Order: sequence, then structure tokens, then C-alpha cells
Amino acid sequence: MTQTRKALSLENLETRQIDPTKPLLEVDGLVMHYKIKAGEVSAIEDVSFTVHQGEAVGLVGESGCGKTSVALSLLRLLPSNANYLAGEIRFDGEDLLSLSGEEMRQRRWKDIAMVFQGAMNSWNPVYRVGDQIRETLDTHYRGVMTYDEQRKHMERLFSSVGLPGEMLDRYPHEFSGGMRQRAVIAMALACSPELIIADEPTTALDVIVQDQILKELKRIQLEMGMSMIYISHDIAVIAEVTDSIGVMYAGKMVEYGPTKAVFSRPRHPYTYLLLRSTPSITGPRRQLAPLEGEPPDLLNPPAGCRFHPRCPFATEQCKTEDPPWVDLGDGHKVACFDYQRVPALDEALQR
Amino acid sequence: MSLPPMTVDDKAAQAGGGVHVDGASARELTGGAGLGSTPMWRIRLKLFRRSVATMWSLFRENKMGMFGLGLILSFALMAILHPILMATVWEPAIYDPVSGYDAVMTEYTVVEGEPTDPLSEIALERARLRLNPRIDAGEVVTIPTQPAPPTWTGETPHYLGTDAQGRDILSQLLYSTRAAFFLGAVAAITTVFIATTIGAIAAYFGGWIDGGLMRFADLILLMPLLPVLIVLSAVFEMTMVLLGLMIGVLSGFGGVAIVLKSQALAVTVKSYVDAARVAGGGDWHVIFRHIIPNVLPLSFLFMMFGVAEAIAIESTLSLFGLLNVPMTWGIMINSAQTNGYLLSGTSFWWLLFPAGLAISFLCFGFFLVGRGMDEIINPRLRAR
Amino acid sequence: MFKFLASRLVQMGFLFVVFLSLVWLMLQAMPGDISDTLVGNPSIPLSVRLELRDSLGLNEPLFFQYLTYITNFFRGEMGVSFSRYPQEVSTILWTALPRTLVLFLTATLFAFWLGFKTGKLIAWGRGASSEKGLIVTGIFLQTVFYPWFAILMLWTFGFFLGWFPIGRFIDARLWQNSPYDANELFGQMIITALIAFVVYAVGRYLISRYSNNIVTQGRLAQGLGVLTLGGLVLYWWVNPAREYTWDITHHTMLPVFTLSLVLFGATMLLTRSAMLETLGEDYILTARAKGLPDRVIRDRHAARNAMLPVTTSLVLALAFVIGGGIVTETIFSWPGMGLIFLQAINVSDIPLAVGALSITGVLALFGHLLADVLYAVLDPRIRVA
Repeated sequence: MTQTRKALSLENLETRQIDPTKPLLEVDGLVMHYKIKAGEVSAIEDVSFTVHQGEAVGLVGESGCGKTSVALSLLRLLPSNANYLAGEIRFDGEDLLSLSGEEMRQRRWKDIAMVFQGAMNSWNPVYRVGDQIRETLDTHYRGVMTYDEQRKHMERLFSSVGLPGEMLDRYPHEFSGGMRQRAVIAMALACSPELIIADEPTTALDVIVQDQILKELKRIQLEMGMSMIYISHDIAVIAEVTDSIGVMYAGKMVEYGPTKAVFSRPRHPYTYLLLRSTPSITGPRRQLAPLEGEPPDLLNPPAGCRFHPRCPFATEQCKTEDPPWVDLGDGHKVACFDYQRVPALDEALQR
Repeated sequence: MSLPPMTVDDKAAQAGGGVHVDGASARELTGGAGLGSTPMWRIRLKLFRRSVATMWSLFRENKMGMFGLGLILSFALMAILHPILMATVWEPAIYDPVSGYDAVMTEYTVVEGEPTDPLSEIALERARLRLNPRIDAGEVVTIPTQPAPPTWTGETPHYLGTDAQGRDILSQLLYSTRAAFFLGAVAAITTVFIATTIGAIAAYFGGWIDGGLMRFADLILLMPLLPVLIVLSAVFEMTMVLLGLMIGVLSGFGGVAIVLKSQALAVTVKSYVDAARVAGGGDWHVIFRHIIPNVLPLSFLFMMFGVAEAIAIESTLSLFGLLNVPMTWGIMINSAQTNGYLLSGTSFWWLLFPAGLAISFLCFGFFLVGRGMDEIINPRLRAR
Repeated sequence: MFKFLASRLVQMGFLFVVFLSLVWLMLQAMPGDISDTLVGNPSIPLSVRLELRDSLGLNEPLFFQYLTYITNFFRGEMGVSFSRYPQEVSTILWTALPRTLVLFLTATLFAFWLGFKTGKLIAWGRGASSEKGLIVTGIFLQTVFYPWFAILMLWTFGFFLGWFPIGRFIDARLWQNSPYDANELFGQMIITALIAFVVYAVGRYLISRYSNNIVTQGRLAQGLGVLTLGGLVLYWWVNPAREYTWDITHHTMLPVFTLSLVLFGATMLLTRSAMLETLGEDYILTARAKGLPDRVIRDRHAARNAMLPVTTSLVLALAFVIGGGIVTETIFSWPGMGLIFLQAINVSDIPLAVGALSITGVLALFGHLLADVLYAVLDPRIRVA
């Protein structure tokens, strides 16, 4: 797959032609295990999902469910003890897992960029913010822009996230938390990537700033026709900004579908309990259905369905067999043997 | 001031309930007697023993630290060995490290000109001067020598040879171990005692007490230790105790205090300190019962480094002949120097190497133990 | 930045006065009369002794003595040496000071440069076969008993291998009929080295200002380094005093090298742990995600941050350098301030000893100041404070 040299300017992106039916990123049957002293941790087990052009996909789940590992895998940033045992990650048709280190390095940031969890620490404290953004331009677009053109471009980036241009000459410790977050987003946009991964970009920010950042991200994504993968444990946040949602548990994906569908008609017990574990001001009154217990130890994951120790519906089959995907129509699928029992539970709790 | 006594008729208190402290249930800590009827000190003692046991099991896994510990124990063995040997096998007249004397009879061949091997040949002029003016080259003479190379056989073996005054090197080596440990202990304990107290006080009281103490520590940090001690040893009559105290005081007020203060600060802001004060604990109670015990592991770490440093300083001072002590490793090297054997290299190696190696290895041992402890206390250094 | 410097200088001045006061107190604490301590040496004729008592303020009440003592120091008046009478203390120290400075600076710079580079590479390599060996070497160098180590170095390289002269500053026989004075020549060598250094520093600054490409910057800097160093060597190579300057250099190499070895070990180990810690930081992950080449991540991001704790340790290393310097000079009989100090102590030449001690204090202070400034330059977060 030939990569055409993209001319770098925000205007270009904004008039990018996107075809929402064409897939940009396809994660296909990804399996990844970590090797540690005590043994092998099954961190990602047969995860598959697709991100189309211009689409925003959310990955939701508890801490440790593997969503960050998936994100880091897309950029191949996992440490050397992470082994990919099966699957492909196809970006623009090309399998990223089969690339050499140098080839992958050239694609980072230019094709896929990432906004990290706790992005405020993404900044090196001893260099100016502008210099750290300029680094990416120097690395990926050597010789394409002059020094002044780079400066203009960065100022445009900053204004698109609502930051004044002169902050480029400041050091990270001179930014507030929210400003640092915006700056990180600006840096992610610097090389006009086609896909941005946002890993918990708003945790550790106060609610008001959180809201602003979310709106900002959504706006940029729509304006520039970028695809986005949004990772969070906060399902409410995900619901606001994504087109599709994948629910992950203990390294596996348990439900996937359009956001509206998964939200209004959750079919996996885990998804259901996740959604209903917080009370809502609107909507019908329900008894709270909290999730008991803890996620399993991935060093020795439970047999069969990994959720069965905590599942209210667990049957003998669940304890021994791995549930296959069931297609519920309209792109909504679930991996559960007893998904039909979920609506009944919902009704029971409403009484 | 202790916590108010709990009412005994609370069954839950008796049973210990679900209270867990430091991984131990209340039942374990009180031996089944329940929280209500076990005195505080016994519980504290058990907690202390537990934390020591945990540290020890962690330390055992650290290869570096264990190796260092092994070295230290070997030296301790040497220190104990000496008085035993002196009391039993070794005759004081010959083997006493300071006043012993043994003239080892060695054979020499008389040669013309400069002898190529000073251990087995002697120049003609010297032989004529010292013995018999009629000696000729080629003859073999037996002269009492000092320093004598190691002899492993005979009635009075000298495993590491003798020095320029006929004293047994091995005896000197073993005897000095005691002095080294003693000095190291005095210096390190003094340093840590002062530094911990200052650090805790500065951290707890804050404000100008903190500022003042830290400024003073900056000043002390500024003064280079060796030159100051050199001058002091010239001015005052230095004994080991005095030297140890001086080193301790000069180090204790300096850099170590600064580090321990930051550690104490980290403890001070923890909620249990607030809780203790709310419960009515006075300032000193909080300092001694809460802050200091939590700073102790770090203090202990600095003690290890402190011993190594003190031994090195003392050896340097006595190597330059500035200390008036009977026998330490540094003195051994000093006597080699004053008798002109410093650059003899391999010919008279037993005058230089045992002492130098002893100093290096003992310091090395303490250093390793300190590093090992560092890895335990700073978890981020732990190998995953 | 300048405010920072100014306030630090004032602080330092104050601390130094306190230091001097402590030294003065110690003088008072010495057994015997203070005037005997400072002036009472039979080799000084009585008339001179009386004059000295006057200039040193010894005839006045205690507090004025103290004041005179402090002001005298800043005027450079430190009394007359007993053992080298009639030389004044300040004259003796003035000749010896540059030598010791050369020893300190060269050893420190070399040790830190090499130690940092090595530690950085080891930490990045993560488990290369040479790592264990280098770590053991580093620990060995850090814990070996230094005076003994220095003796061994002298014996090995000077006596046994014969690559270097066995101690001393110059070969007296060589200089017997020389038209040059060793001290003057040494002074000239220092001045040319300083000029070369300034040229290099200015050049580096200009490069960073006017070149925007990191790669060309690096290459230009290397070229500049070669140029200045080469120029310096060339200058002395064609100089008619070549034999003599080489003699001085040759005698200085082994002491500097020995002193730097121990510092090298400590720096290497410290850099390694600082790097390992830095490598776990978030911004390193970001740097990798940005697709930056490995070398850029290692040097521009990780090592640059690892420099901070290493610089802090420079302050502590100072105490070692000073003490180590004394030991080195003594073992190698290299006539710097340390050797003079020790000799003075041994013959109870108190004025000389105390003078040397005070100058040592000044050196320590300046070293502290330099380290603080360096840290502020490296860490922008400190500059606001």
C-alpha cells in the first residue's frame, strides 16, 4: 500500500474526503500476552473491531480490562515482554504488526496519534511546549516546511484548541491542567493524523474543564474528518462523543455496536450492570444493581466466559464454554449465552 | 500518653473484629486476647517485630545486600578471632600487633652491585657493613629480617609476614578490625542520631526552625570534611572515640539531615499524624512515636554508608600520620610509607595489600548492605 | 536569572563569613596563646613579630581581633608562614591555587563527561553484556580506599609500566638551565586553555542560535570542538617551550586521571539509576509515540532530565573532590594547595594551614554556587523560585 505524501496544512484536512463506509482501522482477532516472572498474563484475547473513516469508536471497561493495551498496540508501544500471538491490526489495509521497527516509527504520529491518560505528564518539563511540538514536524516532515511555516502551523493548531499563540514559548509548568490537556491535543493534531486515540483524556480534570475538552475533541473530529478511538472507564462520557462502542472485560470484547443501541438496549450482563450501576436523574426509577466482586486475575483467567464469576445469569455452560458472537442486527453484537435475560432483569429492577 | 482504655464489655473489641493493622488481624496481634485486654506496648512490639521480619525477608532476596552482609560478618569474625588467638595460640611477645617482635631468619645470597631480588639477595657492601667485612660474593648468609615475607611453617609462622618493626602483619590486621568497627559504629550512630532528630524536628515544626536548621545544614554541607578533620586532628589529641564523635557531629548536621528531613516531611503530612494529635498526643509524643519510627529505615540506610565513610576517613588520617592511635589499617600503610616501602609494589606486597584490601572490602561490605536496603526502601529500584 | 545569581552570591558571602568565624573560633580554641599560634615562631625575628602582631590585630580586645581577622582575609592578608619564612601565606597559596584548580576542574569535567555518557548508554542498553562488568567496576571505584588506590596507580603506571613520571610537578633536572619559569609557563598554559574554552562556548552559543536543524547543530558542535582543541594543541606544539610544557603536562596527567577515576565510577552509577527512573516517565512514552528516533529520545529527552539529579550530586561530589585532591597531591607529591596544606599541618605552620583551609572553603563555596547555577540553567522549573 503506497503512502502518498500528505501536504501539511489544516485546510487540507478540513476538506478531506471521507467515506464513512470505508474502514480505516481493522483490529482482527488480536491476541496479546505479557510475559512476567510469575508466568503469562492473557491481556488481550481475541479482540476485533473496526473504525471507519470519520468514525468515533469508544472502548469502555474497568481498569485492567485491556483497553489501554489495545490502544498502545495500535502504535506498537508496548514493552518487549508483550507478545502478539495472533491477529492483525490493519491500517489502510496494511498490517501494522508485520512492520519493522523503523517502518512503524515513521507511521507513528503521522498516521495515528495518541492523547495519553494523564496527558498532562506527556510534557517534558525542561523544554518549551512549542519546541516539543516542533519536534514532530522535524521528524516527520523534514524539509517540507521552513522554520516560520512551522511556527505559523503551530499557532494555528493552538488557536484551534483555544490557546494563545505565545504560549508556545512557555514551559509546561507554566500551563494549567486544562491548558496542558488542550496543548496535548494540539500536538496530536500537528502531523494531521487520520486517527487519534484518546486514552482517558479527561480523567484528573475537574468536571467543567472535562466538558469543554470533550466538546473540543468532538468539534475537531467532525471538522477535520478524523477518526477517533475514545477510551474511558466512564461510560457516560463515552456515550456523548462516540458513534460506536466496544465494551471490554478482562481482555475480551463482550459487546459491540452503535452507541445508541448499546446504551438503550444493552445485551451483555456486564454492559447492563455497568450502565445501571449509577442512578440517573431522568428515566424510569430502578433499583441500583451494583457490580459485585473484582475483575479476574489475568495470569490465571477463569475458564469459559471470563465474566461468569460475577454474572447473575451464569450457567454451567458459561463456566466451561467461551461464548461466541451473536449478531443482533444493525452492527450490534454480543458475546453471551444468555443475553435474552437482560431485558427481563431490567424490567424486574424497574418495579 | 497512651490511648484511653477500651471498655472490656464490648464483645467485638474482645474478639478483635475486622480490625487489620499492617496486614495482621487484631487477633493475631493480641494473641487471641482481644483489643480490650492487651496493653499497647505489647501490640507495638509485635508490630515492630513484624515489620523487621518483613524487611529481613525482603533483604534476604537481595543478592547484593546479602553479599555485603557476608563480608561484614567475615570481618566481625576476624575481630573476634584476634583476642582468642592472642589468648591461646599466639605468644604475646611475638605476635602482639603493637609491641611484638620476631626476627625471622632468612637466607640471603651475597651479590655484587644491586640485588635484583631484595628478598633473597643482599648487596656486597651491605653484607660487609652489617656482618663480616671479609664476606665475599656468592656466599649465603642468614640474617634476621624485617620486614619478612610470609612464612607458613616453622614454630612461629607469620602468615602475612612481618612489618618493618618485626611485628606480625596478620595480627595487626585482625586487631585493627576491632578499631574499625568501633569507630564506624560511633561515627555512624552519632551521625544518624543527630540527623534523625534534626530532620524530624525541622519537618514537624516547620517555619523558622526548619529554615534555620536547614541553613545551618547547608553551611555544614559546604565544609569539606577531610581538611577540617585534618586540622582538628592536629589541634586536638585524637582518640578513636573523639574522632568518631567528631565525624558523627560533622556529618550528622549536614547532608544527611537534609535528606532525612524530606523523609520526615513525607511522614508528617500523613493523616495518622493528624489523628495522633487530635487524640491528644503532644508534639514530642508525635515526633518520637510516629515520625521517627517511620524515618528509621532510611536512617539505618545512612548508618551503613556512614560506617563506610568513617572507616575511610580514619584510614586516610592515620595513613598521613595524623592520628595518635596504636594500630589501625591506616597505620599499617603509614608504617610502610615511613619505612620507605610504599612504592615497592610486588616485592613487599604484604606491607600494603592486606591493609588496603581490608579497608576497601569492609567499606565495600557496608556499601553493598546500604545499596541493598536502598532497593528495599525505594521500591522503584526493585527489579520486577 | 540574575536575581537568582545575585541572591545566591549574597547568601554565599554570608555563609563564608560564618565559615571564617568558625575557623577563627577554632584558632582561639587551640591550646596556647593566639599570638603564639599565629606569630610565635622562633624563625621570625622579634621586630617582625611585633609588626605582625599589630597588623593582625592581636594586641586588641577580642572582638576587634575578630573583625581584623575577617577583614584581613578579604584583603588577602593571612600572615607569614612559619615553615617557609619569610614567604607570606598569601603568596604561597597564590602560586599553588591555580595548580589545584587545574587538578579539580580537569578531573571533575572529565569524570562527569565520561561517567554521564557511559551511564546513559548502559541504562539505555538495558542488560547488555557489558553492563554487569561496568557496574561492578563502578562500585569498585566508588568504594575502594582512595589513598591506597592512588598508591597503586602511581606504582603501576609510574614505576612498573614507566608510562608516567613518579609524582612531582616537573623534572627538576630538565629545568635546571631552562630560560623559562615553571609557574609562569603553567600560568600561560592555563590562559590559553581558558581562551580556547571561551571560543568554544561562544561558538556553541552561536550555533544554537543560528542553526535550526538538530543534526547540523550536532555536527557543527563536534567540528568546533575539534577545531578549538586542535588549535590549542597546535599552538603549544610549535611553541619553542614545547619540551617544558610537555613535561608539566606529563606530570599532571596521572594525578588527574587517578582522581577522575573514582568520580567516574560514582557518576556512572548515579546516571544509570537516574536514567532508569527517567525512562519510566510519561513523557518518554509520548516521545516514542511521536515517532522520534531512539537516539533523540535517549539523549534529548531522557538523558537531559537525568542530568538534574546528577547535577545535584555534583554538590556532594565536591566534598570528595576536595578531600581526594589533598590525598592525590600528597601521594603524587604534586605541589598544589592540598599538599602544602598537609605539609603545613605536619610542621605546625598554623598560619599557612589555616590560610589553606580558608581558601579551600572559598573553593567549596564557589563549587556550590556553580552547581546551583548549573541546576537552574538545566531545570526551568527552578528559575521562578
